Amino acid sequence: MDFDWMKIPYSLLTLFIVVNYGMILNAFIQKIGARVGRRHGIPIWQNYADLIKNYSIRSSITHGVMFYLGPVFRLSGGVGLLLFVPTIYGSYMFSNMSFAGDLILALYFVFFGTLGMALGAAESGHPHAAIGITRGLSQVTAAELPFALAVFAVALQYQTLSVTDIVAAQQGSFLNWTLFTNPLAVTAAMLSFLGSMMRPPFDVVLAPQEIPIGPPTEYHSSYLALMQTNRAIFPIAKIVIYMNLFFGGAASWPVFFLKVFCIYMISVLVGVVFPRFRVEQSIRWFLIWAVPVGILAVVLV
Amino acid sequence: MVDGISFIAVSLGAAFLLGMLRDSWRFAAYGVSLATLAFLTWNAFCWTKGFAVDGLVPIEIFTAGTPPPFAVNLRLGLTESALLLLVHITALLSAIYLRDTLMQQGRRAMSVLLVLCMALSGIILTRDLFNLFVFVELTVIASGGLILLSQDKRALGAGFKYLIVSQVMSILLLIGIFFAYQATGTINIDGMAEQSALLFKGGFLAFFLMFMAVVLELKPFPANGWALDVYESAHPAFSAIISAAVGAASLIALDKLLLIAGPDWLMLTSIIGLITFIAANLFGLAQENDRRLLGYSSVGQIGLVMLVLGQKDILGDNYLFVVGGILLAHAVAKAGLFWISGLVQGRELKDWAALRQRPLLLFAFASFIALLMGLPPFPGFYAKWELVHALAAADRLWLLGLMLFASLLEAGYLFRWFGYVIKRDLPEQPLACPWHKRTVVMLALVAAWALAYIWGELSPHSNLLHLLPLLFALAFLVLEPLPAWLKNLLAIGGMVVWFLLSYPGYDPLQLIYGGIILIGGSIIFLASFYGSAQRRLGFYPSAMLMYAGLSLLIVAEDSFNFFAAWELLTVGSYFLILRGKESEPHALSYILFSLGGAFLILAGFALAGLGAGQIPLARLADLSGQTSGELAGWVFLLLAIGFLTKTAAVGLHIWLPGAHAEAETDVSPMVSGILLKAGLFGLTMLLMTMGKQQLYGVELTHVMLWIGAISALVGNLLAVFQEDAKRLLAYSSIGQMGYAVFGLAMMNHLGWMMALMFVINHYIYKSMLFLSVGGVAKRTGTRLMYQMGGLITLMPLSFIAVLIGIIAVSGVPPLSGFGGRWIFYNAIMSDEYRLPLVIIFLAGPIAFLYLFRLIHTIFLGQLKDEHRKLKEAPFWIVLPQMIFVAFLMIFALVPGLALRHVDVYIGQFFAGGPSLNWEGLTITSQFGQWAPIPIMIIIGVIFMTLFLWLLFVNRRAQKVKQFNIVFAAERPYRPETTHFAWNFFAPYRKALGFLTQPLVTRFWETLTDLLHQLADLLRRFYTGNGQTYAVHLLLFVVAVYLLQKGMM
Repeated sequence: MDFDWMKIPYSLLTLFIVVNYGMILNAFIQKIGARVGRRHGIPIWQNYADLIKNYSIRSSITHGVMFYLGPVFRLSGGVGLLLFVPTIYGSYMFSNMSFAGDLILALYFVFFGTLGMALGAAESGHPHAAIGITRGLSQVTAAELPFALAVFAVALQYQTLSVTDIVAAQQGSFLNWTLFTNPLAVTAAMLSFLGSMMRPPFDVVLAPQEIPIGPPTEYHSSYLALMQTNRAIFPIAKIVIYMNLFFGGAASWPVFFLKVFCIYMISVLVGVVFPRFRVEQSIRWFLIWAVPVGILAVVLV
Repeated sequence: MVDGISFIAVSLGAAFLLGMLRDSWRFAAYGVSLATLAFLTWNAFCWTKGFAVDGLVPIEIFTAGTPPPFAVNLRLGLTESALLLLVHITALLSAIYLRDTLMQQGRRAMSVLLVLCMALSGIILTRDLFNLFVFVELTVIASGGLILLSQDKRALGAGFKYLIVSQVMSILLLIGIFFAYQATGTINIDGMAEQSALLFKGGFLAFFLMFMAVVLELKPFPANGWALDVYESAHPAFSAIISAAVGAASLIALDKLLLIAGPDWLMLTSIIGLITFIAANLFGLAQENDRRLLGYSSVGQIGLVMLVLGQKDILGDNYLFVVGGILLAHAVAKAGLFWISGLVQGRELKDWAALRQRPLLLFAFASFIALLMGLPPFPGFYAKWELVHALAAADRLWLLGLMLFASLLEAGYLFRWFGYVIKRDLPEQPLACPWHKRTVVMLALVAAWALAYIWGELSPHSNLLHLLPLLFALAFLVLEPLPAWLKNLLAIGGMVVWFLLSYPGYDPLQLIYGGIILIGGSIIFLASFYGSAQRRLGFYPSAMLMYAGLSLLIVAEDSFNFFAAWELLTVGSYFLILRGKESEPHALSYILFSLGGAFLILAGFALAGLGAGQIPLARLADLSGQTSGELAGWVFLLLAIGFLTKTAAVGLHIWLPGAHAEAETDVSPMVSGILLKAGLFGLTMLLMTMGKQQLYGVELTHVMLWIGAISALVGNLLAVFQEDAKRLLAYSSIGQMGYAVFGLAMMNHLGWMMALMFVINHYIYKSMLFLSVGGVAKRTGTRLMYQMGGLITLMPLSFIAVLIGIIAVSGVPPLSGFGGRWIFYNAIMSDEYRLPLVIIFLAGPIAFLYLFRLIHTIFLGQLKDEHRKLKEAPFWIVLPQMIFVAFLMIFALVPGLALRHVDVYIGQFFAGGPSLNWEGLTITSQFGQWAPIPIMIIIGVIFMTLFLWLLFVNRRAQKVKQFNIVFAAERPYRPETTHFAWNFFAPYRKALGFLTQPLVTRFWETLTDLLHQLADLLRRFYTGNGQTYAVHLLLFVVAVYLLQKGMM
């Protein structure tokens, strides 16, 4: 097999850009949230400071092999997801490892990190971790459904499962974006997006009040550092998929930064306004409000 | 051989001789009786052999030297000689069995027995109506005498009722003969048959009376209360004679009368038989007394034979084959069962559990039950096959349907009884087992298998007892005394060798199934080396029977062999499932659903036969072209439902969880990983030949899509809420099979590829998971997940197997489950129906819930105090798991190894549709691509890099103790209260629990309850009061009269 070894440094470059952008974006968003609540918020470099702090904490414990591997799974999931999807449309340099598979690979690989992390957290033996995981898993079954339907509608619309082809079909004018050619699918997908961003009203998984921070409860020091890195990468990797499928993709880094920010802001806007759902409430909400839109999208496409 | 008249003369002479002996010479009397019966048996055997093998022509015996109508004539042909053989051999064996009773009762009893044989021979041989009357009278008197032989006090009452009823019959018969003679001027049966037009001109009533008399002798419902009392209270050896010999003789009497009657009376006979068959089997459901149950079963079986007698017009050349098959099977089985009932001390069905002390008797019991049910390879199987085909060809579908329904009822109580025998506690009283009685039962057993062979030879299809896999399975019965490890080795060797032998003949599709069944099956057998210190009686014959059926199924080319293989694998798997500790009710539910499904398949094949006795499976394809109307649709529907029963599609799924969960550790993977594929294979065969079919404008494959989707959802959802690990896996199988059915029903190339992917994957991971969970359950002594926890460090290998298994099931890359999902998405891109997909999409992520629960509550979380000293699961249970792990890895990396050729093969059925391209390391479709090896490498590199990085920065990490976790202001100390495991998905239950209402279970329970209550209510109809019985008899006669008048 002829593998272009230059892909490795190129991918690392993508990774580097995304990690840094994610760090700053996360802090920025947190700041916006704080300002809405009339607080001052964290400094913009806070995430870097946290990362350094976590790596330098001296006490470090482990509960076992799976516990140890949990953050590794988690971060591999984030990095893999990012690399399996082309970041910048039309650029060979930033097409990453997308030759390995198509949209379906990305969709299923989302669960790789989640599952591994859940296993690690579960080995800690902390009941809060397990409770958080049951909540997360329960919620995700309903939240993913509209997205899956939307993806199917889009794939049917463009008759392909290749991300690059889907982006290519949306070029020309912004009116070619799936947002305008298939608004039902995009609506369903964006409702589902709310559920996957760990923000209110769907953040019961981490539930900082009753089960302090849910699955990651027992993680600390370098484990937490790895997970924190993932928190910078993973949302962006996911948003890249949304951007490619529904919002015309990005042909350059500035467009990329802007679109990712705007899409992220959708969940933030909803999140700062609404209070939290319980798990069964959010399941019902998705089934009642989001799934029918998705079904319509699939049927009408 | 000696002249036919000897059957009457010799026994009569011997009876007189007994009368001249001194009363104290009991040995001599007994010797004379036995010698007489043995001589006549030998004589009947010679005649039968002469007619059957040497081609003798039937002979007429003129008793007074002149032909009829001036003297009585007897006729001896194949039928007569076979029945004579049956009568005398039953009597001989019963006489041996009755040794003590006869010796005690003395020569009078013996002479009564001989007179009975003589009378029955007379009924069989005579061609004269008045003569028939005389012999019937003699039979009645002799039977009455023998009934009174019983120790049971109720026998007196029963005998009295019998005599009264018999006198009514005799009177009817006599009056009938008298009037018939008036009308025709002859009492010769053949003479009367020639003049039947004359007879029916004015003599309808005359014939009706004769007909009623003979029919009543056959104990039709409802005029049979007396007979049941007789069966219940008479000596079992005598019940054996009544059931086998008297029943057979009465049937031939009816056959003779029907010769006179002509076609108008045939349907009436069938209806009476059918009603009796249904009613007797229904009442049998509510019966707990063994002999009364056998009585119901006898009445039912004789009803079935009456039904067949009435179908003489459509059976043609097969008439004797069908009647003989059912009648002889009934006679041998019933006699055998009555004889066994004499060995069992208690009178309740569960007292028969005592048979477990004698494996040979147990085997005999199983054979008799199978013989009654018409399971292969017994004669009833061949006979029912022909009968059903004839009924379907003649368009008598209502008869066919009701008959199969009643057979299912019969299966219900027979298999329940079998379950009692295998599973209930041993009763306090042991078997009373003198050698002569056991020998008699063993001879019946030999007869059963001999009949199986003979009917196989006579069958126009193939003789099942010539099939090598079946013989191999049966050979394990003989090998039972060997140690289990040796049997295991033989089983594995046999399966591998058979695979190697068959391998060149397989097409790619068969190769996949064959590989799973034979090679896959032998890998699971590795687990059976564990615990092979015990002999595991019955395990190997059952398992090999199932594998024999499976391996025959995939190579079957015609409907007969396919169906026979289907029945074999069903029966084998039933025995296997029944072995589980608590599996009695679940095995029963399994076999009933399976037999119900099998009957539908039988009916489907019969309809598709269009008059032919069997069809090549490929001919199913031409069906829609050859026939008009909805026939092809119906055939498709029947076959599809039959196959869907085996894949546990929603609605028919309730047998699966219990059956798979309660089975033994190494049996669960067999019945889940392998057996379920039989249903999928059937569906594949069906769809491959028949394609899309419509019924009243409904696209049936579309319906199947919905069924598959809903099964996937229901299976997954129910799995989420299980506390029992094996039940969880079992429900998950329902979901997985739903996916596979969905894939097949899509009817496109990629859909089929997906289904095959599921076939392979499901075999590997479900076998592996069942073994892991089984191994854990063996160590912990429980299957309830919340009682476990934290076992990862104690059972690391089991953990790895489960981990790999759940990643594969969930479809997360890089393991092979992802391949299934990828093909699925490609397949649905070209599917025309989108709504069922919504359900499938909903079902998908639910799998994560139960999979996570499985691994978390068992292996992660808090270790319980009582488990701290557990060891890894036994070596032999872990070994196959590790092989499966390797399989999964290989299959994940190079799926093309298994799938490329099938892809090409399937391609020929869906020309022009989208397909896959297997060039290089990447698999491409017209929509996207999938490169398993690069995916594995990329993920591996990322993972390892990060892992090494963590190892580096975290090198000082300390392992801490179990309860060293961050809690607010308290320190947990009890694993039970810290391990979050029970009711794991409580919020999910709140949200979607309403979908898990056991509606289907409730439906089937209500149905069976209704049947049982109906049975319980209606059987009160038999009050035991002679006057009530007389009213029944009267009503019956009137009803039949009106019915026949109405029909003519």
